[in-house]
Parts: sequence; structure tokens; C-alpha cells
Amino acid sequence: MSTVLERLDRLPRRNLTVLAIKGLSTLVPGGWHNITSADELIADVMGSNDPELISQVRARADELSKARHEGYGRALSLYDAVNRSQKAAGGLRVLANIGGALPLVKRVANLTPTSDTLQAVDLSLKVAAEMLAFTQVNGLPGDSFGDFAAALNEYAGEARVRMAALICFDALLPLGDQALERLDTLLGKAGKGDLRQLPAYAGMASMLPGRGDDAHLSFLRRGVDQWLGWAGGFTGQLALSGQKAVRALETTLGPWQGGFDQMATFLDAFTDTYQHTGVQAVARRLVERAAAEI
Amino acid sequence: MSRTLRWGLGLLLIGSLAIGAFVLLPFRSWLPGGTVADVPNSQVVNGTAFNRLFPEPDTGEQLVFTQEKRGFSEARLKRGDRVKALLAISDVTTAPAARSKFKASKSQLQGWPLVEQGAQATALLVADRFQVKVIAQGEGLDVEQRHALIGAFDLQGLAALQPGGAPRAALEPSHRDLPILEPAA
Repeated sequence: MSTVLERLDRLPRRNLTVLAIKGLSTLVPGGWHNITSADELIADVMGSNDPELISQVRARADELSKARHEGYGRALSLYDAVNRSQKAAGGLRVLANIGGALPLVKRVANLTPTSDTLQAVDLSLKVAAEMLAFTQVNGLPGDSFGDFAAALNEYAGEARVRMAALICFDALLPLGDQALERLDTLLGKAGKGDLRQLPAYAGMASMLPGRGDDAHLSFLRRGVDQWLGWAGGFTGQLALSGQKAVRALETTLGPWQGGFDQMATFLDAFTDTYQHTGVQAVARRLVERAAAEI
Repeated sequence: MSRTLRWGLGLLLIGSLAIGAFVLLPFRSWLPGGTVADVPNSQVVNGTAFNRLFPEPDTGEQLVFTQEKRGFSEARLKRGDRVKALLAISDVTTAPAARSKFKASKSQLQGWPLVEQGAQATALLVADRFQVKVIAQGEGLDVEQRHALIGAFDLQGLAALQPGGAPRAALEPSHRDLPILEPAA
């Protein structure tokens, strides 16, 4: 299995994913820099270009990411599971869009999961993956709940573009501008069947606390409740909306004539935003630790 | 050997391998490679113990804890939205190589060896066991500011931490030696 920094080095410099994130990052103050080189990241954290130091940090980081208990690798497998599921679901919906036009394959269109409920469950899985990955990467920092909340806020602030992508691509575009308000109702309607339909769930089930689908579903709801408070504030602060997101994406991806939900489907099927920014976020935390330990 | 016997033996082998793998699965976390440098977690001081030893932030500054693991705790020193420095305490038990750089060290802080790493980072080795590090971020801090930050950690408290497992046994003889060095004081 490749280490976190090897994965970082292999990230694309310019493709659809990068363009989509770049476009969206115009909405977020501070912007986004696509770091795809481990050496560059280490030099940035250490504030030094000394090749000897960089190779020491790198060796330590590789050692840390190979140790299973340290959780860096586990966080990446969470992101991978979510990404695979998103691609599979997105691909099916693209097929349905094409298939809807052809009488012979119309039946495929009826099979595809497009309901709002399913989309809401998918979003809640992503939020849960984000929280689990946070504890895998950072542990439970600080001695009090206040410390922990501050750590979470710090992480979310660092991952602003990533959170904006989550909110826009997985909530506002597919579910409409009232997505965050509707989310709880939608999740209330979700049953075990909806959960089972999502491939990401199979990959994450063992890492979610509680036994059985019902326990997992209630964990997801509680997780989303926690996240909604923060996401609502963030959305209000940046005045995010589906319209704004599409306009921002048009600056890099070119003009878009379809609907918002089609844009969401397109992004789901053809980009890896979640995985891409996930690898970068984990790599930064890993390098910060390795730099402190050498 | 008859044909059926060979098949039977083959199937038996496959079956036992599968059962063996299934039985071992819950013990995966005990297999080597789970912990850093294969040092058992019980021998490493938990990062929780380090948190209270971090310096108190000045007014207008904020200390935000970012990572806490076995043998490691890290915080960011922030002024407003800007990160001034990364502060960390780590247990070098899992990183013996980190110790070697202090051998060549000439400067000291409160009696512990001090080393500069590049233009932005300073490290201190406390009690030959815990590494305290300050890595300046962004515009940076000069050497004196970094030294002052390291001095603001509770270094005595850190040196007094009781490490668990084998290293404790290594420390005990030195405690017993003390009365012999200073008899009937």
C-alpha cells in the first residue's frame, strides 16, 4: 500500500477535479493552492529548503503512515470508500440521463438512485467520514470539550475550500438552496434500504460506532445535526448558493447550460474532489507531525 | 497416492488456511506493523500527559491543540487568523534517530541540549526522552523568540513525567545512585 506522501505526489496537477476545485475556490477567501508535491509541502511547513531535513521529514512521515494505529492510512481509506461510492452513483445517473433518451435502455433510468433522500444519506455519510477521518488523523486534541471544538474549527477553517465543495456539490446543487434546512427532514425519511443502496456504506460500516443499520443511521443523523450548525454559518457567511457555485465553476470549466442537479451528477461522476482535497489535508497534518518528531 | 486422497488433502489444506486466517483476523492489531517503529504503545507516554505542559498564550494570542496521539501532542500558536508557530512535544522512544542530532549540540537551555533545524525550527531534548519543538510559520520568529517559547513550556514538569514500561526501569538505578553521590547531606 502506498504511503500518504506517495499518494500526494501522484495527485493530478491539472484535470477536471483540479479545475472544479479552482473554480469553486474563487468563492472562498484565501483561495486554494493545489499542492501535489510532498517536498514542497515539507519545505513549506519547515520553512527550510535543506534537502537533508526534507528527506528526514519524509522518512519519518512514511514510517508514521505505515503504522496502522496512527490512523493516517485509515483516514485515506475512508475518503477512498466515499469517493468510490460517489463515482458509482454518479455514473449510474449519467447513464440514466443518456438512457432516458433511448427507449431500449429506459429501464436503467428507473433503477438509478436519484431521490433526494438518497442524496441526503450520501451527504450524511460524507460528513460522518469527515468526522471519523478527523479523529483518525488528529486523535482527540486537548483536555476539554472546548479544546476539541476549537481543534475541529481549526481543521474546518484550514479545509475551507474542501468544506465549501462538500456543501455546494453535495447539498446545494443536488438538493437546492434550502438543502441544509431540509436535510434533517430528508434524513428522517431515510430507511435501512436507502443506506444499503450506497456502496460507501459497505466500506464504512465497520468504522461507524454502534451495531446494525439503525444505530448507524441515528449516528449519521446526530453527526449531521452537529455539522449543520457550522455549515449553516459558513454558508451564510460566504452567501453560498447553487447559482453562485455554478457561476464560479463556469470560470474554469466553461459555460454550463444544464440544470443544477445535472451539474451535481456530472461532478459526482467525473471528479474526485473529496478524495483529492482529503489526501492534501491528511498529508499536511502528517507532515506537521513528522516535522515535529525528527 | 490415490486421486481422491490428493484432492482431499488439497481441500483440507485450503480449508485450514481459510479457518486460520479467519481466526487470526480479530488479532490483526497485535500483528507487527501496527505501531510506529513497532514499539508497544504501553512504552510510549500518551499525548494527553503533554497538553498541560504547553506554554500559556500571551494576551491576543491563542493556543489551539491540533493533534494528540500516543507519544505526541501538537498545538498551533495563533494571533488572530495567522498561525505564528507550531508547538509540539513528542516522546522520542518511537524515533531514536531524533536523539542523535543532540549529541553534537553546543547550546543548552535550562541544562537540556538545544538544536536548530533549518532557519525556522528549534528542538530541545528533555530528560533524554522528550523532544520539545517550535517551528515558526509564515513570517517566522527569530532564534531568541523561539528559545523564549521553548523556555515557556513546563520543562520541569515534562522531565518529571513518569514514563511507563521498560524505560522506567532504566531510570530507577539513577535515582538510587543519588544518595551515594551525596552521602549524608
